[in-house]
Order: sequence, then C-alpha cells, then structure tokens
Amino acid sequence: MNKDLKNTLLNPIFKGNPISVLVLGICSALAVTVQLKGALVMALSVIVVTGLSSLVVSLIRNTIPNRVRIIVQLVVVAMMVILVDQILKAYAYSTDKQLSVYIGLIITNCIVMGRIEAFALGNKPWPSFIDGVANGVGYGLILVIVAFFRELFGSGTLLGFQILPDSYVPNNLVILPPMALIFLGCIVWVQRAIQKDLQEK
Amino acid sequence: MNTNSNIYTVIYTTIIVVIVAAVLAFVAMTLKPLQDANIKAETISQMLSAAQLVNDSDLQKMDNKSVLAKYSESVRTAFLINSKGAKVRELNTEDGSIELADNLKEQNYNIKGAGEPNLPVYVFDKAGEEIYVLPVYGAGLWGPVWGYIAFNDDCSKIVGAYFDHSGETPGLGAKIKDEPSFREQFKGKSVDIAGTKLFAIVKGGAPEGATGAVDAIAGATMTCNGLDAAINTWLSAYKPFLATQMGASLSKECDGSCGENSGDCCGGGSCNGSCGGNHQCNR
Repeated sequence: MNKDLKNTLLNPIFKGNPISVLVLGICSALAVTVQLKGALVMALSVIVVTGLSSLVVSLIRNTIPNRVRIIVQLVVVAMMVILVDQILKAYAYSTDKQLSVYIGLIITNCIVMGRIEAFALGNKPWPSFIDGVANGVGYGLILVIVAFFRELFGSGTLLGFQILPDSYVPNNLVILPPMALIFLGCIVWVQRAIQKDLQEK
Repeated sequence: MNTNSNIYTVIYTTIIVVIVAAVLAFVAMTLKPLQDANIKAETISQMLSAAQLVNDSDLQKMDNKSVLAKYSESVRTAFLINSKGAKVRELNTEDGSIELADNLKEQNYNIKGAGEPNLPVYVFDKAGEEIYVLPVYGAGLWGPVWGYIAFNDDCSKIVGAYFDHSGETPGLGAKIKDEPSFREQFKGKSVDIAGTKLFAIVKGGAPEGATGAVDAIAGATMTCNGLDAAINTWLSAYKPFLATQMGASLSKECDGSCGENSGDCCGGGSCNGSCGGNHQCNR
C-alpha cells in the first residue's frame, strides 16, 4: 500500500474524523447511540453506503453531466441506502425497527455526499472506495465509543448483557440525547488535547 | 463526447434512473418473503404479549420460528366474524401455514362503511382459560397506530394490551409502544358495550376508580386521541361478538340476566330487552 492510500485510509479515522473534527452527521450520532447494538449496525450501514456509493460514483465520474451531477450522486446514494434498509428489514428486523428512520436518513448524512463531491468525483475507483470506507469507519468509531458509555451507564448492560451489578441504578439522563452531546463534547476535548494543531489560537 | 449537451443529460439521467429502479425492484422482490415472515412473526409476538402468554423480555429473545411455534401451541382457534358477530370462516392455526388477518387497514375502511368487514378473533389458551385477542387499527399523528387487546373468557375484563405505530414521535407518541406502564393500565379494565363510548383514553388523567378509562400520555394528545378513536371504532364493530360472549357467561352464571342480543336466558325465559346491555329475563 503506497503512502497516499495509507493516508486516505487513516486520516478520516482520527486526524480528520468526520464527527469529532468536521462535525458532520451529528443528528444520527445522537439518536442511535442509546444501545451498542444499534450503533454497530448503524456504523456498518454507513460504512457500506459511503464505501459503495463513492465507488460507483467514481466509476461513472467521467460520464456524469456536470449540470446534474448532484442529482446523479443522490440517485446512487439513495439506491445504496434503500438496499441497506431492505436487507436489514429481511435479516435484522428488530434492529431495523429500533433504528427506524435513521437508516433512511443516511441519505441526508453530509459525510456521504461530502466525500463523493470532495473525493470520489476526482479520484480513481479504488482510492475512492477506501476513502468512503475510512470515513464510514471514522463515523462508526465515534458512534461505538459514545454508545459504549451510554449503554453501560444508562442501562448497565453491553450488547444486552448485564455488566454492572444490580446495585447500580441506571442513570436515565445518559439515555436521553443531551447526554450523547456531552459525551461527544468529551471526545472532541480529548482529541484536541492530543492533537494540538486543532486548537484555535 | 460533449457531456454537457441537453440531449446527453436527458438520456444519461433516464438510463441511470431506469438501472437503479430495476436493481431496487429486483432486490425488493427477492427479499419480500423474508420481510413478510418477519412482519408475521412480529404481529404474532404482539398478540402473545397482549395475551400475557410471554413476557416482553423473553419475547425479544425469541426468533421467528419459536414465535410461530409458540403461537400454534397456545392458540385454540382463530376465525373471522362479520359485523353481526357471526363466524365467516376459520383461520388456519397449524404451524407452518399460519394464517393471520393482516389487512387491518382495509377492514378499517369496511368498518367505517366501505363494505362488510371481516374481523379477526384469536382465541388463546392460557392455563385452561380462554383469552380473546382482538385487533384495533386507526390513525395516529404521523401514520397508522394499531394494537391488540386481550380479553378474559367472558370478555368482561381486559387482561392485557399491546400497541404499535409506524412513525409516532419518539419520546412522545411512541410511548404507546415503548412505555410499558401505559399498556399496564389496560389490565383489569372493562369495556362498556352499553354506553356510547366503549373505552376512553383521558387527557389529564382518568377519574379515580374508572373501569373503562386510562390516562393519556402527556405531550402525545394527537396519538392518544387517534388510539382512543381506533379502540372505540373497532370494539364497536366487535360489539355483537362481545355481547354474545358476555351474555353467554351471564347465562352460565344463571343470575337471571341476559346479553343484549342473546335470546338464551337461563331457565328458558325470554329477554325483556328494556334496560341497557344487561337485561333481565322474564320467567
């Protein structure tokens, strides 16, 4: 793997993370992180959608008429999202119900369109695919971290298994969306403490 | 090739859309049987939950197959009735070919006057007692709301209820499903088939000791009103059936009263039909 490709893969996961640095896709990050299982499925769905739509758009990038390029990208992204939704409905019905509208709303997730516009339109299919997947992983990583703490302290469980003893009283605030924002703030704080160049003067 | 000409743009977008539509149609058709099986198992699990046959935490762990098996094992019979309360036909309850009345939306139109409704009745066996599970269906705020209400063997008491929705607001209207305490309220209540309103979901709280009313959910007035209407519309349609059930048990107990339409008075008297749904028998 050459250096560029490695950078494409690793940059979105930490240094240029779509949630904690670019602050994209916050809405769904707050909504689907109550339970770890939901967050994992959502992360996986976003990885598939960002990866495959970047790949497809990159494959047809030289044929897309410039004036309607956003529409064409949207059609491709919408197709991927509906495919993911249909597959989840068939194979993971209860999780799909739990994620409800948020699977459908991946289509409006700025990360997907943002990466297609910024990267896939000007790069070859393979790097574009890597870029899409990496951004999905970056998004999913934050989701899983937030969901880990929210499920642990909000329900005392992880993936549905009891972790904390019965004597622990679940903190209901953690289940509510505001707490997701606070956890997210903490992640941004930690990242900025490690990565000094992100700090404003 | 000039990719910016009008003709190219029109042809290109047309081809893209046709390809995408074809892919989606193919996938949707391929996955349809699996999705239908999921929906069927979910419907059954909601009925099992309403009938208190399986508790909710166990139900979440059950896969489709065990849900269907549990249904076949615990159901005694299932049938469709018309608006007069007469049986139209039986529904198959054998494991492997379970038949459900899943066209609640269509029946909802029929109840409101579009045609003759075929209303499902599911009879479960719980430790020798009969449990009658009846569906309700109506409009919530953003989409349909529906549910299953389970009655005891003479339909005089509600033993449990389960409600679901397609898109009510999480944290507000969605509480009809997510908040177990809302469903718990229905336990032990009864339906007033003689009154104009059979059951009420009361905003601001049901009166203390009310038998036919429960508290509405704060912040979910529209959803609760929709559910209230759904329950009343559907149970009204089931009125003749419920009356027969209640009447049958009354004549069994032989306290000298009879149901609204039932001619079967204990001791062979005839119904005087004068006072509400709970007439006295002439002997």
